[in-house]
Amino acid sequence: MMKAITNLSPHSPHSPEFSRRRFLGVSGVLVLGAALPVGRALGQTPAAATFEPSLFLAMDSDGTVRVTVHRSEMGQGIRTALTQVVADELDADWSRVEVVQAQGDVKYGDQNTDGSRSITQNYDRLRAAGASARLMLRQAAAKRWKVKVENVTATNHEVVHAASGRRFGYGELAAEAGRLAVPENAPLKKETEHRYIGKPVTHVDAGDIARGQGTFGADFSLPNMATAVVVRCPWLGGGVKSIANKPTGEPGLVAIETLDAAPSAGPLFAPLGGVAVVAEDTWTAIRVAQGLDIEWTPSPNQTFDSDELRVSLRASVTKAGTPVPGSEKGDVDAVFAAGGTELSATYETPFLSHAPMEPPVAVADVTGERCVVHAPLQDPQSARDLIAAQAGMTPDKVEVTPTLLGGAFGRKSKPDFALEAVELSKRVKRPVRVQWLREDDIRHDYLHASSAQHHRAVIDDEGKPTAWLQRSAFPSITTVFAAQAVQPAPWELEMGFSNLPYTVENQRMESTGIRPGVRVGWLRSVCNIFHAFSANVFADEMASAVGRDPIEHRLSLIPETGTLKQPGQPAPPGHELDFARLRHVIERVRKLSDWDKPRSEGVGLGFAVHHSFRSYVATVLEASVANGRPSVSNAYVVLDCGTYVNPDTCVAQMEGAVVFGLSLSLYGDIAMKEGAVVQSNFHDYPMLRIGEAPATQVELVPSQGRLPAGVGEPGVPPVAPALSNALFAATGTRHRTLPIRT
Amino acid sequence: MGHKLNVNGDVVDVDVSDDTPLLWVLRDHLGLTGTKYGCGGGYCGACSVHLDGAAIRSCQLPVSTLQGKAIRTIESLEQRHPALVSTWINNNVAQCGYCQSGQLMSAAALLDANPKPTDADIDGAMTGNICRCGTYVRIRAAIHQAAGQQATGGAE
Ligand code: FES
Ligand code: FES
Repeated sequence: MMKAITNLSPHSPHSPEFSRRRFLGVSGVLVLGAALPVGRALGQTPAAATFEPSLFLAMDSDGTVRVTVHRSEMGQGIRTALTQVVADELDADWSRVEVVQAQGDVKYGDQNTDGSRSITQNYDRLRAAGASARLMLRQAAAKRWKVKVENVTATNHEVVHAASGRRFGYGELAAEAGRLAVPENAPLKKETEHRYIGKPVTHVDAGDIARGQGTFGADFSLPNMATAVVVRCPWLGGGVKSIANKPTGEPGLVAIETLDAAPSAGPLFAPLGGVAVVAEDTWTAIRVAQGLDIEWTPSPNQTFDSDELRVSLRASVTKAGTPVPGSEKGDVDAVFAAGGTELSATYETPFLSHAPMEPPVAVADVTGERCVVHAPLQDPQSARDLIAAQAGMTPDKVEVTPTLLGGAFGRKSKPDFALEAVELSKRVKRPVRVQWLREDDIRHDYLHASSAQHHRAVIDDEGKPTAWLQRSAFPSITTVFAAQAVQPAPWELEMGFSNLPYTVENQRMESTGIRPGVRVGWLRSVCNIFHAFSANVFADEMASAVGRDPIEHRLSLIPETGTLKQPGQPAPPGHELDFARLRHVIERVRKLSDWDKPRSEGVGLGFAVHHSFRSYVATVLEASVANGRPSVSNAYVVLDCGTYVNPDTCVAQMEGAVVFGLSLSLYGDIAMKEGAVVQSNFHDYPMLRIGEAPATQVELVPSQGRLPAGVGEPGVPPVAPALSNALFAATGTRHRTLPIRT
Repeated sequence: MGHKLNVNGDVVDVDVSDDTPLLWVLRDHLGLTGTKYGCGGGYCGACSVHLDGAAIRSCQLPVSTLQGKAIRTIESLEQRHPALVSTWINNNVAQCGYCQSGQLMSAAALLDANPKPTDADIDGAMTGNICRCGTYVRIRAAIHQAAGQQATGGAE
């Protein structure tokens, strides 16, 4: 059975259909360009499909194809890309394809939109889904015409018997195809036959978004829905002791509810607790919430101070940490003892908040026997289990549908905000939307971890390290999962620390963890941010110590061919770090940036390269200092992500990564005092603005035929070190601490 | 308390407290959810609408100050700026899209005042609109393209 195609209630006074009728008198919205008629059937439940050969694909007898997307859209274009894959192998007419957003359900397999792996994980299975359906349509036609299936082709929504000139539309064959067994190993297209894969298709939601009709979390509503704003304890683990001025009789106020505090250690995805103001409308909820005078109960996190944490992190990298198992090569200490040109440097990075443009928000409706949640969730499936527990139901009674995510960057993989809505709906017995304010978002995030990195090396005359000691210290994300966890996990170190691609005979890697008094979490590219920063700047320091060109020098550290043997878990087959591909993106960015062309006085070029999420990215930034602030005029990015589905999306993700990376390089700094985040909104946690965004050129390496790799995250890590290196080239000043304020 | 507002050419009555920001009137009371909440403090521009033709931050305007003013929101933008909407789509400007209603409203006000903006004009007019996804280079390109189309009457 197909589920409802839409995220919107047909009855809602807040639905776009309502507002269109009411205010515009514009009849039906046409979608321009190649954008799809997504969700045209807003509010209607499609009848059972005539032909449904897969979880991901259904077809009606009028030929309408519905592709079910089981990953969440947060700007990375996944609703478009996954649809391209299915539609390509089906050889569907793009204008007759609709996109259905899947609810959270184990039947789809992993739905966690995280780790830049939606295409990596689903490319083959979705091609197979499309290909099987196409073969079945050919089989159905061959049967009807009593000809061999080999003599029947299926192209652009039509099945054709060339010899006789007979043809059927796909829809005409849907019923018969639906009675056939789904074939195994249906033939896949050759690369040259692709019509959507590898092509720059316009995003399926582009039309809705440009018309203000996209349904984000806060845009979904239900009849009789109330809106809640929650005042949370400034420190993790604190609960409500008393409310000095509980208002009563306020017009529009529905209820004031006290929510239990989260555990002060290992809080996982538990709601933080606090005082929820439930009101008929958002403004009443905000106004009442802001007037509350709440006394909180203490927690061990109440003394947490980010400056003190940084002192500890700095201190910890001056001493030996826990060696990464299997990382030790040769005898680092002997080389250090023997002397030579030695370099050492410590790098520091602060806490960061995700600050997706859409603050967390969720709508929940808990009735006696069912719970329905619509929210911008990166993983509706795992959220469903937690929601079921919160609602006191079994997961089969719970429906979780992702809306569009107004940005996420990892924040919305944690469903704490949806659990708040579930709890409140249960209590007030009506649908409830929980709206986080920007201040709530900045102050109560799962922060990207602050870190200290230390590198020490002895280099030869060419700047090549003969010995290299790396140390990384940061609060591990695993501290959110377990009250006792301290040590960084291997997967955190495999993000650009234990898998550096440089040839060194004597090498050791050590890490140190620390328990933070705050929730830490993964933010777009995660530990790669600080690892890529320190390693790329340190490599630049090696080059400059011997007066070598940074790109020449870097290439000299990377083998010509072969793959990296990293300590710990080997990379999955086909995704090993391939030295030739790494060198290639470096060579290409040298060309793209016109690296050897002299820049004017005071303008510098900085280079960085990083392999993450199975992709290779090399970045050059052109920067100077203007009015005492760094200024970036041009960005050049080369991406090798293997097989790509939508090249324009890949380019857009690199463009966006440059801006995201510059925001964290120039501004990102979350401080904590007495357990509380100091910053609160965009005035003290600024983002890059349009006038600061460099002209950006992106080159995509044609690597069709290779396994598809990640795109959403890998553009971020090289940005900060490229900026630091560019500023060094421009001014001679080395920046080893983020953000760079100069 | 009752307020008469002119929204997208229609006169509507809303019964809300005087201090209710226009943003929440649009979203909660008129069902016009294209206008977004991003910060509530005038910093991000996600809530941008037109007030008598100028792009303003609707989170900062109490409903009581809007008597007799013409309010336009993203929902009516395409009628007046079809080229802007189509270039936005065709250039795949949006990533997550959450900031884009505000971006488009600021861009439209810019083009109304300055049909041939330079990069510097664009940067100046759009500086109040944050895009966390970083679509700035495409916003610049799309505004130039829309300006060109409007000049040649292409899409009007
Ligand atoms: S929501 Fe109004 S400026 Fe941010
Ligand atoms: S497109 Fe996501 S914030 Fe602008």
